[in-house]
Amino acid sequence: MEEKIKVKVNHLTKKFGDLLVLDDMSFNVTDGDLLCVVGPTGCGKTTFLNSLTKIYDITEGEILLNGQQVNPKKQNIAYIFQGDSTMPWLTVEENVRFGLDIKGLPETKKKEQVEKYLEIVGLTKYKNYYPKQLSASMLQRVSIARAFATEPELLLMDEPYGQLDIELRFKLEDELVKLWKLTRTTVLFITHNIEEAVYLGNKIMILTNKPTTVKKTIVNDLPRPRDIAAPEFVKLRNQVTELIKWW
Amino acid sequence: MIKKKNISDKTINVACACISIGAFLFLWYWGTAFTKLGMLIPGPVEVLETVTAGFFGKVGRHSILVHVGYSMIRVMIGFIVGSVFGIVLGLLMGWYRIAEAIFNPLFRIIRPIPPIAWIPISIIWFGLGENAKIFLIFLASFSNTTLNSMAGAKNVDREVVNAAKMLGANERQIFTTIVLPASVPSIFAGLQVAISSSWATVLAAEMVRSSEGLGWMIVAGMNNNDMLQILSGIVMIGVVGFILAIIMRKAEDILCRWNKSGN
Repeated sequence: MEEKIKVKVNHLTKKFGDLLVLDDMSFNVTDGDLLCVVGPTGCGKTTFLNSLTKIYDITEGEILLNGQQVNPKKQNIAYIFQGDSTMPWLTVEENVRFGLDIKGLPETKKKEQVEKYLEIVGLTKYKNYYPKQLSASMLQRVSIARAFATEPELLLMDEPYGQLDIELRFKLEDELVKLWKLTRTTVLFITHNIEEAVYLGNKIMILTNKPTTVKKTIVNDLPRPRDIAAPEFVKLRNQVTELIKWW
Repeated sequence: MIKKKNISDKTINVACACISIGAFLFLWYWGTAFTKLGMLIPGPVEVLETVTAGFFGKVGRHSILVHVGYSMIRVMIGFIVGSVFGIVLGLLMGWYRIAEAIFNPLFRIIRPIPPIAWIPISIIWFGLGENAKIFLIFLASFSNTTLNSMAGAKNVDREVVNAAKMLGANERQIFTTIVLPASVPSIFAGLQVAISSSWATVLAAEMVRSSEGLGWMIVAGMNNNDMLQILSGIVMIGVVGFILAIIMRKAEDILCRWNKSGN
């Protein structure tokens, strides 16, 4: 069966003044992929994601989502940021509802989606809490539920678990895989953590140091649930580590 | 556990407030009863008796409560109109660069001018009636709310704005669903200062020309060398100011309950 291209990036180039950050990047993302993007620290991973979503204007090239120029206002794209991006004045339930309100969905659909995703991320009993009353991992789960509730065509995640401890990270990684399997949303997951990339992705894209280009994309067909101590896992992790080395 | 601690903190605060007010009243009483201070000002018991008598009798043409009512109506009209204008202008200046570029230079010039400096102009423009007083109170609340609303809008978390953008929010939706609610704590800080400022300004305005209100009570007391009337007016200002501060704090607690940590 032929794979459907969800995102097509042609010659993506981004400069800040004279500083070339993204250098002529071209790649495709297949529909339903959980593509993990790894690269050396400071290589411009966040710039790459912000360029994809037009938070930054790109210098050259084009980005197509479903064959059309990417436009977050017209297309259904969700973004989960590195830090907390919940709205502190809204309860957990209202936060998850936020994107659905913006998109003007019918009330019954909104209620259904909010209940469904609160249940999946295990926050139903905290639905009336405010973000200031929640822990860091719960806040990320609110952001994740809010993003998935809009049933995005493309979900972008920028090191969402970077600030969490290892136990919470594993828990949320499993939750993400569960949601991804359930919804088959196309996910671009940026991380500097190689183990996380190998644990999560069905594909891993390795970026070079600045000016950033795509070094290689690896298909990761390790069976799930993945065991980080399994020899195949360690082998793949080492392979990615070797590819990422710039020194 | 957290709830228990809050109750205990509240009890301590109330106890401390009672002790400090009690100590002040005691010193006042002691000073006026047993030292030469008694020749300059009356004691707290006499002032309390005068205030109580003023509730049921008349000070000038009205009871004290009516005087409070006159001052309060002037404050509320000026405060509400000034705050609405201040909040709108502050949010626009804090969020839209073009609005800041146009209005901020003018605002920076007007802001340092104390409202009472406008008294002569307000009398020339509006005469000696209510409008001049309300105009002065408008200025007093406008500056404070504008400044704080602008700060609130400027400090909106960019990550939250980007999250809203990515969820499809347009400029208007970002302003109404992100900038406005995120600025509420700053707006309230401005309103707190604005209400005190408005209250101080109404007294100054009433002292210039009026026949009712707490400012008039004080000035009339001064003209008649009636120290009890002056102190009754001052005590009522303190009491009304205290009540207004509590009302504002309660409103803030309700509207900004999300800004409190803990369960």
